[in-house]
Amino acid sequence: MARGRSRGIILMMSAGDVDPGNARARENAELLRRMAGGDRDALAELYDHLSRPLYATARHILNDASEAQDVVHDVFLALWENAASFDAGRGAAFSWAVTLTRNRAIDRLRTRTNRARLLGSSMPDDLGYGSNPGILGADDWAELGERADAVRTAVDALPAEQKRALELAFFSGLTQKEIAEKLSEPIGTIKARIRRGLIKLRDSLAQRI
Amino acid sequence: MIDERQEELAALHALDLLEGVERERFVAELGRNSELRRRVGDLRQAAAALAHVAPEAEPPAALKARILASASAGRSAARGNAPAALPRAGRPIPFPSWIPWLAAACFCIAAVWSGKRFFDERSENASLREQQRLAQQALDETRGQLGDATRRLAASGAEIAELGAKLKAEGDLAHFKIATLASMLGNSPAAVAVAVWDPSREQGVLDVSKLPALAAAMDYQLWVIDPQYPSPVSGGVFTVDPVTGEAHVVFRADKPVKSIAKFAVSLERKGGVLKPEGPIVLISQ
Repeated sequence: MARGRSRGIILMMSAGDVDPGNARARENAELLRRMAGGDRDALAELYDHLSRPLYATARHILNDASEAQDVVHDVFLALWENAASFDAGRGAAFSWAVTLTRNRAIDRLRTRTNRARLLGSSMPDDLGYGSNPGILGADDWAELGERADAVRTAVDALPAEQKRALELAFFSGLTQKEIAEKLSEPIGTIKARIRRGLIKLRDSLAQRI
Repeated sequence: MIDERQEELAALHALDLLEGVERERFVAELGRNSELRRRVGDLRQAAAALAHVAPEAEPPAALKARILASASAGRSAARGNAPAALPRAGRPIPFPSWIPWLAAACFCIAAVWSGKRFFDERSENASLREQQRLAQQALDETRGQLGDATRRLAASGAEIAELGAKLKAEGDLAHFKIATLASMLGNSPAAVAVAVWDPSREQGVLDVSKLPALAAAMDYQLWVIDPQYPSPVSGGVFTVDPVTGEAHVVFRADKPVKSIAKFAVSLERKGGVLKPEGPIVLISQ
């Protein structure tokens, strides 16, 4: 993949996640509009765009491939059934899908009877992206991989304590209090780290446009 | 203008970390503040980008087909337009106009049948409830009667036990040998004693009064006269209170006693003797 294209994709990714007016976001919004009209091909195309990060997110939260597949299945069906309610003015389709995926995965995680054990085993000490290089092959997946690389770079630039707080906040399903206990820090410190980390991430992604 | 507190709450809300009252208050605030809503939207999209940092994982190929199949089934079911089977010649099957009427008629029949069933079951339930109420009433009455009978039985039992005790006492008393011993002493004619012998326990009690006090070398000795023995059987020695002349003695005979003809008390040397040697001071009639 040429670097120039990579940069362009990064621009799209950043806009896609931060600015709903970019090309990718418009494309996904158009797919949802077609899905609302019953276009199954649009669903297939949206699946190609989003399934990989959604599946990775669900799998990372649940630490279980089978459950992650169920979550992604349910999320795409929810998108299919509720496509007509999508409002591009309120956010990108990607954000919507990620929110659905994360919420469903965390719900499953919380309903497991052995929650405590799984929380311990499902959360690695770091995000894992340093030791897990991209395995994308096709152009579309390469595009997605480069978007992921850009986000990873932005997250990696965060101070370690902010990165850790964001990681637990997003993937663990823990409450503020539980995160504070896990990191042995006052809850006020955790809140501040999450605020600073998320704002830095937003600004970092915005600067790449 | 968004202050630091609002920004912190916005960040936590974007990650769904607000709970309870804090969340309710912030959502209410969002309803009033469009700038804050936009900030939450920005931060939520930044948070969603974190999905890209999960370790990469490729979903299985079958998942896409499964989702598309489920989507087709869902929409088909929702719209109620499941595709009909294709005719063999490839020509569409004409849809008979009477089918909707048939379906409506079936629905009406089913509704009537369901209604009848509902009322039947409701009536049956009411009947069963009435039966249950009556059964419960009968059960309560029976329990009451049983309680009364139990109480009466207990009272009767107590009476029987009391009567039995009385009878036993009377029976036992009938077997007792009771005798009054009169004085044989010229100087103490008022001396008297009562002896009671319980043959079942082979034990007796002797109550004595107004017997003269004795010298230190002397004892009174009780004798039981049983016809099976040629000589009286000793019942032990005793002394009396020097002031009142009274004594209360629980005694046993030295030999097994079958029947007692008389009791006697003699004056003997200290410690008693095998056969009466001294004068008889008291004897029963």
